[in-house]
Amino acid sequence: MMRPEDIRVCVLRIEGTNCEEETHRAFQAVGCDPEMVHLNQLTGHAPQASRRSLEDYDALAFPGGFSAGDYVRGGAIFAARAKSALGGEINAFVEAEKPVIGICNGFQILVELGLLPALDGPSDVPTAALFTNDSGRFECRPSYMRNESRGRCLFTRKLPRGRTVMFPVAHAEGKLMSADPRFVERLEDNDQLVFRYVDPEGRPAGYPWNPNGSEGNVAGICNPAGNVLGMMPHPERSLDPCTAPDWTRRPKKEGDGLAVFRSMVDALTR
Amino acid sequence: MPFEDLINQGGRGAPVAELDIHAASEEQLMEMSAELGLSLSLDEMKSVREHFAAEGRCPTDIELQSIGQAWSEHCCYKSSKVHLKEFVFAIDHPDVIARGDAGVMAFDDEHAYALRLESHNHPSAIEPYGGAATGIGGILRDVVCMGAQPIALVDPLCFGPIDSDAPLPPGVKHPRYLVDGVVAGIRDYGNRVGVPTVSGAFFFDERYTGNCLVNVGCLGFVKRSEVLNNFVGGPGEVLILCGGRTGRDGIHGVTFASVELKESSEEEDRGAVQLGAPITKEPLMHACLEVNRKGLITGMKDLGGGGLSCVVGEMALDAGCGAVVDLDRVPLKEEGLAPWEIWVSESQERMMLATTEDKVEEIMDVFRTWDVLATVVATTVEEKRTRIRWHGEEIFDMDLDFLTGGPEYCRPYEVSVPAGEAGEKVPEIPALSDALLSLLSDPNVASKEWAIRQYDHDVRAATVLRPMVGPPNDTGPGDAGVLRPLPESHRGLATAVGCNPWFTSEDPYRGGMSAVDEACRNLVAVGARPHSLTDCLNFGNPEKPDRLGQFREAVRGLGEAAAFLGLPIPSGNVSLYNESPRAGALPTPMVMGVGIVEDVRKCVSADLKEAGNPLYVVGETGREMGGSLLYRRFGGEGGDVPQVVLESLKVKMDLLLEAMSEGMVSSCHDCSDGGLAVCIAEMCIGGSMGASVTLDALGELKAAEKLFSESNGRWVVEVAAEHEEDWQNLMGHHALWIGVAGGPSLLIGGTGMDIRVEDLKRAWSDPIWEIMG
Repeated sequence: MMRPEDIRVCVLRIEGTNCEEETHRAFQAVGCDPEMVHLNQLTGHAPQASRRSLEDYDALAFPGGFSAGDYVRGGAIFAARAKSALGGEINAFVEAEKPVIGICNGFQILVELGLLPALDGPSDVPTAALFTNDSGRFECRPSYMRNESRGRCLFTRKLPRGRTVMFPVAHAEGKLMSADPRFVERLEDNDQLVFRYVDPEGRPAGYPWNPNGSEGNVAGICNPAGNVLGMMPHPERSLDPCTAPDWTRRPKKEGDGLAVFRSMVDALTR
Repeated sequence: MPFEDLINQGGRGAPVAELDIHAASEEQLMEMSAELGLSLSLDEMKSVREHFAAEGRCPTDIELQSIGQAWSEHCCYKSSKVHLKEFVFAIDHPDVIARGDAGVMAFDDEHAYALRLESHNHPSAIEPYGGAATGIGGILRDVVCMGAQPIALVDPLCFGPIDSDAPLPPGVKHPRYLVDGVVAGIRDYGNRVGVPTVSGAFFFDERYTGNCLVNVGCLGFVKRSEVLNNFVGGPGEVLILCGGRTGRDGIHGVTFASVELKESSEEEDRGAVQLGAPITKEPLMHACLEVNRKGLITGMKDLGGGGLSCVVGEMALDAGCGAVVDLDRVPLKEEGLAPWEIWVSESQERMMLATTEDKVEEIMDVFRTWDVLATVVATTVEEKRTRIRWHGEEIFDMDLDFLTGGPEYCRPYEVSVPAGEAGEKVPEIPALSDALLSLLSDPNVASKEWAIRQYDHDVRAATVLRPMVGPPNDTGPGDAGVLRPLPESHRGLATAVGCNPWFTSEDPYRGGMSAVDEACRNLVAVGARPHSLTDCLNFGNPEKPDRLGQFREAVRGLGEAAAFLGLPIPSGNVSLYNESPRAGALPTPMVMGVGIVEDVRKCVSADLKEAGNPLYVVGETGREMGGSLLYRRFGGEGGDVPQVVLESLKVKMDLLLEAMSEGMVSSCHDCSDGGLAVCIAEMCIGGSMGASVTLDALGELKAAEKLFSESNGRWVVEVAAEHEEDWQNLMGHHALWIGVAGGPSLLIGGTGMDIRVEDLKRAWSDPIWEIMG
């Protein structure tokens, strides 16, 4: 059986990835052994001593940021580079049902890689997109979301179903869209709809509680196997109770975000 | 001899011209300065001529260009240094670790923080998006080259009125366009490099219309053992240029910053505005900090104003040596740049590292992994000269003491006596309730949420207090940004801005002091003990004696206040020539304060917390209406500008911090623009809660004065009801009871004021959204 400290997490980055330190910290906070790894270290474009192999890791995280500037479309450049250099390895990683999490820009990358929503399995071309927010602006604000997972997603198993948590958002492109008219319904049917934006009382609500206009208030989804989670809000920014937006009004013992990372540890050490 | 004949293009193999400065008449010296874009005065050109006479030769164009950069106001502070030395530089403190490109202060036994505030005014007036973005880029480099990881950005900005459609002078862009571009520039650069914007300010006034001010501040964090010098380790080292390529963008940025803007600046000076590339900067910062952490470099400096021409000389000279540069090795954006262009280009995203030969390969490995360009371009030598080779031929050979020495002036200045009460014209104001709502809607006070939410203030996951406080998505204004830099420690770092350009305009000495007072008030309001300051002094043309008089008096006030409070100013920036065809910009001594929070769990926010809690005002309210928002809004003139009573400020700061650390304070907000009335209204807005207030304790003043006077050194404090007795015992006569929190409205006895909180919210929240959409 695996112990938490045996769990090697690859926190993957390129230029413009900028949430890797707090993502690394999140895995440390739940006792894992994370490492920040540049894509070049996985593709052999680094000195021998710093080269790494994806298969040596037990979990993979795509942190937030603006990878390669995101000048094309959120996550598109990172995904293209990762796919051309190690597409097969990433797919094998996912097929082995190792945990993969993409937060914000990381979610955009997973969608661009065709690993999410993957309603009918991983696809060569993206089947969904994270479109420009309805407001047309970058939105940095607190957001609340309800855990909708019925148990498929391995990142929310330590979080009671229906529980409302607070993770902040900070993005300009977070409106999840698909050409499939039954998109949200199918996500629900498959138990792939993990987080929904709600108001502080846990009721589905529009802007600003849903900061981007995502249909069905979808904030986070997983793949059909439940080992790949993508979400726009930032659980890694909700580790410290003193970084919550209203902690001076309502102090908390710990940040809501820990549950996400703890769930993963639980799934791997069970 | 005609001017053209003074230029010898063909004398050398390299594309370098020689200029016969010795044969030039006085007129031709000035022509030379203008043709080459040197912005040097006749006296300065004559000193240059004397120098080359002693050297027994003519200068090359690249040598003259280098002098133009090094001797610009921007680079050598020639008009301001004498005043800064008198009032600011001498303030010392045992916690000052370095005074380099950024100041570095002790945070705890093992860690330090870096701080710096800088202007990017003229570029932003021409090209707001690029100007502001490269402002962020520049301030990040200043912090990184101390070895520090940038952890927070602070952006105080000044524009003309955004709510006016009055005709603009030729060549001047509309303030709305400028605000939109500057905010977008800060957003797209700051968010991309992943540094949170945690504090800032907006100032709007007609006198900024032709010359907006874009000041950008940054805090960094570093292990004390990793603090870096901005100079080389000694002779025999190599200099590695890393980051972006060098191009024609940003040529003559510093000389452009050191003259007044004019109608034709748009056409003539666009090339002086650099182009930012945050996605070159982001990995560059990682790589630079990584090679520093690994102990591979001896020094680092950023390429900002003056580009290579400034960085090479300064890095070498500060270590008492010189350098030999192979200029043809510099990676270029395009072919065909003249050597002088390469030498002075201010292309962005470049850093210079110093190291010993044996470390070069390991450094290159780090940069290759990050896909960042790095090139050895120079070696350091014992002799204090810089020599440049271009494909083997020497094109530049200058004594560094002469080149970086620069002139220092004691220009004439005039100090005018403030009008004060003698020149006071009391305005006619509407009913007090209407006056308050009007002040809340003034863009100087109204919610800046439109901008704040476009900036990521949470990235790095260490932000404890943000620019807006209160229930999520229903917030009011905060006082200072607070960060928790170390997850394993509860010690925090707070930062806030202080400045009142209107006070400074009417009474520069009190204005300078007020800036320090306000920065400290903001820090104390969240529970931080003020620890250091940095400043960006934005003033007019120092060759005009009244402008220099304002500068001197403001610096005197600022320096006296900082010295009294024991606050060092380990870094700073001066931006002069903030003038436009119509008028001078308001004199604006921007102060960024940094405070230490002993335990972030005890931080206090400004939103009212609980109905029934008593409210107190700390600090004295006087009849000090000069420069007040009330007078500006309703046409008042003159009046006493608020003074700063330093002894009283210090006592009250200490008491308030003690009360906070004892957990007595539920909320606290500083009184600034709009006085007590706006302060209490903002606390109501943030807490979605009214208050019942009486102002009897404030003594014999008129109601409007009690409500809207902007006397310094004041806070409104909500005290936890259960601690009221302890609070009274601690504060004594320093705190006056003024009422109780709670209810749906803000009621102020004796003034007829009874305004529902939702009406306060609407007045405060909507205006800037409506203007900027």
